[in-house]
Amino acid sequence: MIAVAVPDREGGVALALHRVSKSFDGRKVLDDARFAVRWGEVHALLGENGAGKSTIMNVATGVYIADTGVTEIDGVATRIASPIEASRHGIGMVHQHFRLVNRFTVAENILLAAGPEAGIRNLDQAARLVAAKGSEVGLGIDPAARVCDLSVAERQRVEILKVLILGARIVILDEPTAVLSDQEATSLLRFTRGLADTGHAVVLITHKLREVVGHSDRVTVMRGGRTVLADCPTTGLDEAELARQMIGERVAPLRHLEAHPGAPRLVVRDLTVARADGGKGVDGLSLELRGGEILGIAGVGGNGQQQLADCLIGLATASRGEIQLMGRPVVAASVAARRGGGLRMIPSDRFASGLIGDMSVAENLAMTHLAGRYSRWKGFLARGRMRRDARAAITTFNIAGATPERRARLLSGGNAQKLLLSREVDSELTVLVAHSPTRGLDVKACQFVHGAIQDSVAAGAACLLISDDLEEILSLSTRIAVMSRGRLVGEFPAREATAEKLGLLMMNHA
Amino acid sequence: MLDRIVLSRRQNIPWHLRSATFIAGLALGLGISCLILLAAGVSFDDIVDDLITQVFFTADGLAQTATQAAPLILVGLSSAASAKVRFWNIGLEGQVWWGAIAATWIGLDAPGWLPWRLPLLLLISAAAGAIWILLPLWLKLRYRVSEVVLTLLLTNVAFLSVQYLLFGRWKDPATGFPVSPMIDPAARLAQLGWGSVHAGLILAAVIAVMLWVLFDRTRFGFYAAAVGLNTDAALASGLPVVSAVTCCVLMSGALSGLAGGVIVAGTEYHLTTFIADNYTFSGITIAFLARFSPLGVVAAALAVSGMYTAGGTLKVFYSLSEATVVLIEGVILMSLLLARFFSLYRIDLTHWRAVR
Repeated sequence: MIAVAVPDREGGVALALHRVSKSFDGRKVLDDARFAVRWGEVHALLGENGAGKSTIMNVATGVYIADTGVTEIDGVATRIASPIEASRHGIGMVHQHFRLVNRFTVAENILLAAGPEAGIRNLDQAARLVAAKGSEVGLGIDPAARVCDLSVAERQRVEILKVLILGARIVILDEPTAVLSDQEATSLLRFTRGLADTGHAVVLITHKLREVVGHSDRVTVMRGGRTVLADCPTTGLDEAELARQMIGERVAPLRHLEAHPGAPRLVVRDLTVARADGGKGVDGLSLELRGGEILGIAGVGGNGQQQLADCLIGLATASRGEIQLMGRPVVAASVAARRGGGLRMIPSDRFASGLIGDMSVAENLAMTHLAGRYSRWKGFLARGRMRRDARAAITTFNIAGATPERRARLLSGGNAQKLLLSREVDSELTVLVAHSPTRGLDVKACQFVHGAIQDSVAAGAACLLISDDLEEILSLSTRIAVMSRGRLVGEFPAREATAEKLGLLMMNHA
Repeated sequence: MLDRIVLSRRQNIPWHLRSATFIAGLALGLGISCLILLAAGVSFDDIVDDLITQVFFTADGLAQTATQAAPLILVGLSSAASAKVRFWNIGLEGQVWWGAIAATWIGLDAPGWLPWRLPLLLLISAAAGAIWILLPLWLKLRYRVSEVVLTLLLTNVAFLSVQYLLFGRWKDPATGFPVSPMIDPAARLAQLGWGSVHAGLILAAVIAVMLWVLFDRTRFGFYAAAVGLNTDAALASGLPVVSAVTCCVLMSGALSGLAGGVIVAGTEYHLTTFIADNYTFSGITIAFLARFSPLGVVAAALAVSGMYTAGGTLKVFYSLSEATVVLIEGVILMSLLLARFFSLYRIDLTHWRAVR
């Protein structure tokens, strides 16, 4: 299946799922859901986290087998029991988490994943195919490059090429823009349009409203495992209406916080931090952060944001420069000492460095205060107090699905983030470093996170908001700076900043 | 058609399911073992009378199992302590060897005041085991050198040291065999008057309970668990990661060293070139069967010890080959691990039926 397959049934239904239900361990995640995509269109599948978007597409591609329901391809009921069968029927999916071997080259990955199915016999053939297909669809990539040396956007191209080389005519992209910068996302969305124009059926799983309105022909909205709006043309739909369908109630607009800067709480001077590969992550960066303000740091991902966050919290060592927290130098201080000074962190990947998935909710909440509040005589744990405090936090922060004993991993993304926030935004908080605090969250969870950050800042805390989501930076910050190649290249009060201004700075210095 | 069978992971495993699968696994292992024995020419009556009754229902058999269990509990705890913080100590035997060398040294040279001799022996053997793991620990923490390779290879160094001593300074002067002289009676562990069971069993059980309290009830145990489950999150939350790893790994070395001391002071009374054989394998197996829980280790060590007793009986009375015995032991262990798998996953056959 290497030949370019341009379907002749333009406009007909390519893939349809009817009355699909699926349960995991007794919990219903799809409840009589339906979905249909036509040839030659980009179809957005919209929904909050846990709405069932990925699950129904995993059913379509044979990753999951539905409990009940029918899958139709070109109007013919078809049983798809595995991803291989799906690919034989021309369905391919690019998953949110890439399935690539990092130490292999692009060509080796293609050979590994598509070899037998696409009739590729050796590496040369795979490399030629990558080059040919890449230039045909406009996704150029070096077949000899190792995946670990590629950026996230380039890895995504490899995944898309893999699916196309396998002969997919129905292409499903699972939250493809979640890992991309704004510019990269725009170019990807343009690519999906081109794919649809050549007759493919494209499914775009997303929870970003603007991607639906600007870049797709039709939209299906899912909520709580059900399809609440099916097959609706996107022309004439406005974002507020879609949001209402998605979460079932009107979205309250963000209130803007007025800046009331107090004394400086975090002062960074001439900070330089090395990258793991030896290059400079942060390169002579200086900033000053006062109580009552949110300093938003915008920038394309990979410009030293991670190193800055790691160095501020104490995980990475600075090779030069100083950091003052509440007037005390902390550049050589331990993580624990900095936390003692009220520094708190919301990491960009909550289950990698924020929470411990296999520990209970109560343990995750207590872990930063073990030495004080939760210790009794001789270092014995005050488990009763941990449980009581956890119960209180679950009620206050309205963490759905949580009990003190439940493992944190079983919480959905938004609720796990609530758990993390309820631990980090505590009474001792002085400076909050929030790195992409809403990555991968749905509208409601975003609102909650933003509200919690604004509340703590209104109460006097200082917040450094590092994010590549411009909308988030613009709506939340009281002051905005742009980070490029390890330094700040521009700074405005929030009311003077616009997306165009920031975008220009980000691009000119990138 | 196998792709129609779906395995789904259970989020919470009730205790009765866990016990039931364990028992089922044991039964399956014993069943297959019976078939192997029948095929090897042992009659069914003999299996029931001599083997099962002898080993599990007579005072002698149980005493032998209990005696062997003491050092097995200690190496099992040793493996579990380091595995808690994801440090894979594959050199238990090396640490056992150094514990045994230290114990023999104290037992032979007998320094110090008489009543202190035994405590001193146990203390020094634990210290020797801890010292033997210092190098891999330091290299791992400082340069991220793989502890698996280091601890494994250091076992050979430890064994060569034993040979050096036994073919040199400690060679039996009478026979010239590589066997050390007997240690001072005051440095031996007391017999409890039941077979050759000695005070080391009590020591091991008490340590297991202490470790259970330490890992389950204290701040230190929480740190260790946090480091083991997600080191990055533990670091970012300001937990004392390096000290937790250091303590657990040194504890692991000390427990294996102590096992060596208990073997010398409790059963062997001298150093030979086989007394630490197989302890790495046994320790790791026991720790995995117990899922790294200290109290589970006691149960698993008793089970493994019983299996070894039965194996010994088979070898002696039915002159079965070593290979057959190892085969049976392997079958039983694999059945138990298989049982664990089935308590972790639920098998969903609805799609299978749907196809039919």
